[in-house]
Amino acid sequence: MIFWVKTACLFLIRSRRTSIVLTLMVLSAVSCLIFLSSLAMGVNDSMIRNSVGLFSGHIAGFNIPSTIKKEEFSGNSIVNVLKRRYVKGSIHFKDRVEMISMIGIQPLQEQKTSAFWKKATKGRFLKENTNEIFISESIAKGMGLVCGDTLGFSPGPLSDSDYQPKDFIVTGIYKTGIDQLDRGIAFCDIRAIKSDTPWNAAVFIEDGAKMDRVLQQFNKKNLNHLNFKTWKQLMPDLEQLIALNYFSMSIVIVIVFIIVSLGITSAFSIFILKSIREYGIMKVMGMTTKETVVLLLWEVFLINIIASFLGMILGVIIVLIFQNIGIDLSGYTSHNQYFLVSGVIYPRLTVYSLFLPPLSALFFSFPAAVWPALMVTRKNAVDILRGN
Amino acid sequence: MIEVENISKIYPSGRGVVKALSNISFAAPKGSTFAIAGKSGSGKTTLLNCLGGLETPDTGSVNCFGIDIHKLSKKQLTLFQRENLGFVFQFGNLLSFLTIAENIAFPLILNKKEVKRRTAELLEKVGLKDMATAMPFELSGGEMQRVAFARAIAHSPKMLIADEPTANLDTETGNQLVKLMFSQAKEENCTIILSTHDKSLIELADRVVHLLDGKDRNSE
Repeated sequence: MIFWVKTACLFLIRSRRTSIVLTLMVLSAVSCLIFLSSLAMGVNDSMIRNSVGLFSGHIAGFNIPSTIKKEEFSGNSIVNVLKRRYVKGSIHFKDRVEMISMIGIQPLQEQKTSAFWKKATKGRFLKENTNEIFISESIAKGMGLVCGDTLGFSPGPLSDSDYQPKDFIVTGIYKTGIDQLDRGIAFCDIRAIKSDTPWNAAVFIEDGAKMDRVLQQFNKKNLNHLNFKTWKQLMPDLEQLIALNYFSMSIVIVIVFIIVSLGITSAFSIFILKSIREYGIMKVMGMTTKETVVLLLWEVFLINIIASFLGMILGVIIVLIFQNIGIDLSGYTSHNQYFLVSGVIYPRLTVYSLFLPPLSALFFSFPAAVWPALMVTRKNAVDILRGN
Repeated sequence: MIEVENISKIYPSGRGVVKALSNISFAAPKGSTFAIAGKSGSGKTTLLNCLGGLETPDTGSVNCFGIDIHKLSKKQLTLFQRENLGFVFQFGNLLSFLTIAENIAFPLILNKKEVKRRTAELLEKVGLKDMATAMPFELSGGEMQRVAFARAIAHSPKMLIADEPTANLDTETGNQLVKLMFSQAKEENCTIILSTHDKSLIELADRVVHLLDGKDRNSE
């Protein structure tokens, strides 16, 4: 076997120009596909980052008893846990009343981690420990509110007249583009509403970290009785979109390599035809059909392994460059709900994006060798040497 | 002993059929030198190809050392050729991607024989000791044919088939090559069957078959 590997190596090395052309063909296909699949990963990451980063976090915890502190949720891969308290009630302004969900938040913590506060269209976001309110554009329009107005908020149903409305100053008006956040929602400092009611947690984790592992950490801390939902459960549409993205990328890779393998077949056939005399001579010397096929397969395998390896290096370099600078696609994503925070894509290498292209190249290279192998093995040595 | 019995070969062509060989018979004892003489198109190459198993005659048999080679399966014939035959062609037909030494080593590796010592010995015998690492394109026609000969006898075959090995060489170089071939073949007890139209080379052979239009002139 070593002899055939060595012969195949010598054949490729000493057929320099053709080998370089074939190598470049596979190399460029592999590196391009590594970049494309890393870009697809980057698009997925960006969609997740944008969707969970706007408000909900990667994992949401509901109705957490007030006796449980948010510090209990800290652990590996957890970037931040945002504490929020939801109160249904009504806002009163002049003669107008509207039912809303008031969300008590920690303004500074929100500014560190989430992104919805950046969506202020008028005014500014909340300051710590104030009686300020940050309202959606739809509420502002419906109630005729502008920044600086003072409104009253009463928790509970409209009929509950026991509760004296509490005054809040409108400090900012926002619009996120997400219906659930833009309709009937207002934000205030969490200290401005009752503190003995259950709270909700928005858990933000590091990019690429496994949500299952984070949930396992919660289980170990005996927090498993709480109601947690991952973004996949909360946003099944996004999960489907990401699965679709993986699927389409895999199809693209397979199609590209079918096309590349046709190219390789043609190039390799020309390569073999150019040097068919050599195979004729080897056949005259007693090289069997099996040995001929082995030699050809080694040639194809070696050229593909080398080209794929070089393609992987080139692909990784390109991905790393764009991972640092990012690709700004804001122009194409500004109206897309999955890119509300940022349209900058950062390609990300994964086992899938790094190994699928070279493995596809190898997989498709063998059928590519079949036609040249048939060409050589079917021909009589004498016909080859005669040039027929 | 190589025994050729009544072999005939017909080729289809645009103008009907061409009778390349017609009832050729002869026998070549082991270690002898045998020349097939004749003009261009007389059937020399076809006869050599049939002898070497590269082509199958339409009728007749070729018995090499007790084996009717055309009754062997494709794989058996290939292995027979690998072990027992050596070929020298008109144009050397060296493997262009291998060095001179690698070309000579090729049949030795195929036959799992000792490579280094035998390659060095043959390079010395054909006077190309200093060109072991040269590539075929760096050689002259005479040098190329000497390498082709060294490669053909490297694995000590029982029969060497040489198809007009001197056709592209000047007379002096051609004579030197044939003398080298004959002396080495005798040394290694190898039967040489060569085709040529050069009268001076024919005289060096132990036996001769004269072909004319695919027929043995002597048998007429």
